[in-house]
Order: sequence, then C-alpha cells, then structure tokens
Amino acid sequence: MPTESVTKQTSRDVPGMVVAVVFILVAAFALWDTTNMADADSYVFPGAVAIAMIVFSIALIVWNLVFPSGGNGEAMPGASTARRIALVAVMLISTALMPYLGFLVSGLAAFAAIMLVAMYDPWTRYRTIVYPLVCVGVVLGFYTIFAKVLLVPLPVGLLFE
Amino acid sequence: MPGIEHLLAALTPLNIMLAFAGVIAGTVIGSLPGLTATMAVAVLVPITFTMAPASALILMGAIYTGAIYGGAYAAILLNTPGTPSAIATTFDGFPMAKRGDGDLAVTLACLASVAGGLVGAVFLLILAPPLANVALAFGPVEYFWLAVFGLTLISALSERNLLKGLIGACFGLLLSCVGIAEISADVRFTFGSQTLLGGIETVTALIGLYCIPVLIDLVATPDKHLKVTHEPRGFRLGEALAISWKGKFNLARSSVIGTLVGILPGAGGSIAGLVAYSEARRSSSRSENFGHGEPDGVQATESANNATVGGGFIPTLVLGIPGTPPDAVILGALLIQGVRTGPNLFADEGSIVYTFIYGLFLATILMLPAGLVIGRYAYKTIVTVPKAMLVPTVAFMTMIGTYAIRNNVSDVVIMIVLGVIGWVLNRFGFSPSPIVLGLILGSIAEQGFVQAWTIGAATDDLAAMFFGRPISLGIIALILLALFYPLVRAHWLGKRRKVSAD
Repeated sequence: MPTESVTKQTSRDVPGMVVAVVFILVAAFALWDTTNMADADSYVFPGAVAIAMIVFSIALIVWNLVFPSGGNGEAMPGASTARRIALVAVMLISTALMPYLGFLVSGLAAFAAIMLVAMYDPWTRYRTIVYPLVCVGVVLGFYTIFAKVLLVPLPVGLLFE
Repeated sequence: MPGIEHLLAALTPLNIMLAFAGVIAGTVIGSLPGLTATMAVAVLVPITFTMAPASALILMGAIYTGAIYGGAYAAILLNTPGTPSAIATTFDGFPMAKRGDGDLAVTLACLASVAGGLVGAVFLLILAPPLANVALAFGPVEYFWLAVFGLTLISALSERNLLKGLIGACFGLLLSCVGIAEISADVRFTFGSQTLLGGIETVTALIGLYCIPVLIDLVATPDKHLKVTHEPRGFRLGEALAISWKGKFNLARSSVIGTLVGILPGAGGSIAGLVAYSEARRSSSRSENFGHGEPDGVQATESANNATVGGGFIPTLVLGIPGTPPDAVILGALLIQGVRTGPNLFADEGSIVYTFIYGLFLATILMLPAGLVIGRYAYKTIVTVPKAMLVPTVAFMTMIGTYAIRNNVSDVVIMIVLGVIGWVLNRFGFSPSPIVLGLILGSIAEQGFVQAWTIGAATDDLAAMFFGRPISLGIIALILLALFYPLVRAHWLGKRRKVSAD
C-alpha cells in the first residue's frame, strides 16, 4: 500500500494547474488590452510578457499532465480560516472607511478588531486593562509621528472636519 | 587630495553627534515598512539648511546609511523589507529568524552593512572621478541587460519549480506595466479605474506580497511568530564575526558589486542586493542552502545595499547625476546650500567633500554600536510581544506606512489585495519573490529595451545596439554564466563523483 508521501509525489498538482489557467486568462486579458494602445512603445513589452506568461502556463499544465510530481501547497494543520478572512476583512473595511472616519478613528477600530482576531490567550484582568491601553498608545504614537513629525497628511475624516 | 585636516574637521563633537543621531534616526525610520531611505532623508533635510555644508552632508549621509541598514530589521524579523534595498535580505534572513537565529541574522546584517558602507566610502574617497565615468558609459541597452541579469535570479528564487517562478516573474512584469507608460504615456491595464492610474508602487507591492501573507498565517494559529530560545545569547557578536570572517570574499565581492551598481543612476540598493545575492549563491559551495537561512545570503545583500551609499555619491558629487533616489534629495539640499556639484567639486570644494567623506566613514563605524543595540532591542521586542499585540501593530504599520508613500488610500487597498493574492499563490507553490523581482525590474527593463530599440531602429543597426557594445557583452556573459553555471557545475561534480567511484 503506497504511503501518503508517495501518493503525493505521483499525484498531479491540480491547484497549480488551476492557477496556471487563471494566469492564462490574465495574460489573454492583458493581450486584449494592448490592442487599445496606440503606440508600439506601449504594447510591445507587455504583449511579449503576456505571450511568455501564456507559454509558461501551458508548459506548466502539460508538464503536470505528463510528469505528475505532486503539489507544493503547504497546509497548516488546525489553522483558522475564519480568523484569516476576518483579518483581511477588517483591514479592507477600515481602509474603505478611512476617508469618512479619518485615519485615527479607523486605525483605532482596526487595531482593536485585529487584536480580537489575533487573541488566543484568555482575557485576564491584566490583559483587559493593558491591551486596550497599548492599542490606544500605539495608534496615537504612530499617528503623532506620521501626522505631526513627518507631516504626512493623514485623512481627517468627516467627523473632525 | 584628502588630508589629515579634513579628517580632523570631520571629527568635531558636533559632527560626531550629528553622525550618531543621523544613524539612529535613519535606522529607526528605515525599519518601519513603508518609510524608505529617500523619505528619511527628505523629511530631515529642512533641519540641515542652517548647518555648515559639510555637517549637513554628514547628517544626511548618516541618515541615509542608517535607513538602508534599518530596512534589514523588518526583513529579518517580519519577512517585510523595511526599504526596497532589503528585499533579498528576506530570502535568508526570515528563515534564519524562523529557526531561532534572528538575533544572529540581525548582528550579521549589521556587520555586513558596516563592511559594505566602508567599502563604498573607500571607493568614494579614492576613485570617485574615474568611477563616475562608469555611470556615463551605461546607456539604455546596458540597463536593459542589467535588468535581464537581475531576472536570472528567478531560477534561484523559484524553490523547485522554475516554471512557476517564470510565470510569477511574468505576472510581476505585467504588474509593473499598470498605469501610465513612462515613454509613450499610454494608459495601460487600468480597466478605467482611477485607482490604478498611478501604477503599482514598488514599496506598496513589497509590503503586500511579503508582510500580509505573514499576518494571515500569524492569526491562523496560536503558535509563536519566531522560534524562541530561552537562554540569553546577547548579540552573538563572536559567532557573527566568525561567520563574517569566513565569508570575507563574499563580503568584499558584494560590497564592490554594491558600489558599482550604486554608481549607476536609477539602479539603487534593491538591484545591488539582488545582483550580489545572485552572485553569492552562484559561487557558494552551499548554494542549495540559499533561501533556507544561509548567513552568506544576508551578508551579500546587506553589504551590497550599504555599499550603494558611497557608490551613489560618486556620480552625485562628480557629475551632478544622483546615483540613487536619496542622492537626488541630497543633491537638492546641496544646491540650496550653494554647493555646485561637478567635476571640479573635489578641487574647488575639497574641504567640504573630503570632510563629508570622512564623516561618512564615521557614520558607518558608529552604525556598529547603534545598529547592534537597536537590532537587539528590535529582536527582543518581536519575540516577546504577545501575538494579540504584534499582529495589530504590524498590520497598522503596514497600513500607515503604505498610505504615507503617496498619501493615497488606494495604495493601502492595493497592498492588501496584493497580499491576499500573494498568500493564495504561495499556497500553490508560486513564491512571491519572482513576482517582486518582475515588478522591480519591469520598468527598468522596458524603458531600457524601448529606448535601445528606438535608437537601434533609427541608426538601422539593432543587432549592434543590443549585442555590439562592450559593457552589454560583459553583462550578457554574466547572464549566461548565471544561467548555465549551475548546470555545468552539476555536470562537472557528477563526472568527478563518477571518477572517484571508479
């Protein structure tokens, strides 16, 4: 009976092939977009790259079909997909709200939310008091450095206009 | 000629204090993802206006050299290059940190940065005028071939699957085309979106592709970010010195590469680091360890990127052509000071120039204690901070750092989206490094190619344009060497093994 590793070595890298198909579509789209460009200086380079990308992607698919060698995906046992999605969602939502809430408010909200997403330890009295204080301190500290020292015009938002 | 009076002028208490403060400020700014060496120098330029020109130059040079080194912290401890110059530091620095050698990697980076910085400064002191001519000898076609040479590193970064590396590089090259074309000003791949009109900023992409995947995996499990050893090990300076001494040829070669690439206007520390890394890997007897925590990789990159500081000053001071983006800012500051750069600068304003060069030596040497202490503190902070504090702090830093690059919220969105794409691709064996390589080298390659093509077509001799210039031929030879040397070496080793078996 073959072991798991042997099975993996002889199986096809299906996710890799799927990604290769996606890359072919991206390259085809890029090639189509180059037809709207008037100047040869604009389309020669991206066109050549897109064609190369299609060729390499097809080669990857064919190679996998002819010489199955297993996938490269690294699964993390026990990893939380929900937390991963939550992290990205919090970052995207807080960025989208930045022009309206201002950098300070959206940053504080994002920091607090990501802290909850990354929290694995039990909420002891110490953590309940210290962590929110650190949250405010870090955000205010960075805000002060960037807005007041480095003079980066961070969004003020509708609340403080 | 440089004399003892210039050295003494550089060693005034004020200059020593400015050099030390500049190195510390630069290191801290450079360690924050999103804040580049250019930004560090630009932000602190106004305070130099009231200073004497030599002191102002020393402060700016110290900030610059500190910022280039500071980029290594985030690269090693967070897998995010603090500055683009530290891209290749992530390749081996982060794997070292993952296995519990982050402190060693930080100390090695400090030693290598000091060594590289000193070599660059020596070249600046002794060979500035003749070396400045190298910058003039590089035309568009040489830049094109240099970018292609950088792309040969894909084979090293592809981790077992060259085809996936090549596809990733093509993806990066296409990303570099997004926005307004530099030569023809055509709008490309924006799909009508104003968000993409400005293109994809390299630092934005770097933060997204390297840092966001780390954060996504960090929140997924309660495991520690880096392996922690409980026994106190200090700076591990003795160990790092021993490794550095063993890799002295690597350090010397990488420093010279860094100086020479620094001389080329527009190339910069990232290209220098990548080329030096590629050469270190090619010539190493442990080439298979590169990408998995090989100290020589960290040494090569860090010495090369800090050598670009001295190298970049060569065309800046001799020709008035900035070698790297921070040099352009410093050049502006010099003009405000009334210092006219040019071939006569070393003769006419020798007291300023040589005092500054000795000041650069001083700042580089002061980087050793400052860098070791700050690096130790950064390492201890990263390994001891609880995950619930580390993840939001790093996430917040990526957001504010990305925003600050162009004061644009869209860049933050692009950074996050690229990060998610990078995470997904990495799961399926498409490493982010070839994508980044394509993105960085894309604009240089395209600009060089199109300009060379136009000149070649106008002179009706395309072949001579691309293959007839001596420097081009030299770079092409290096490309062929980089591509085929591993094959030849493997063949040769196989033959030798066969002979010894017989």
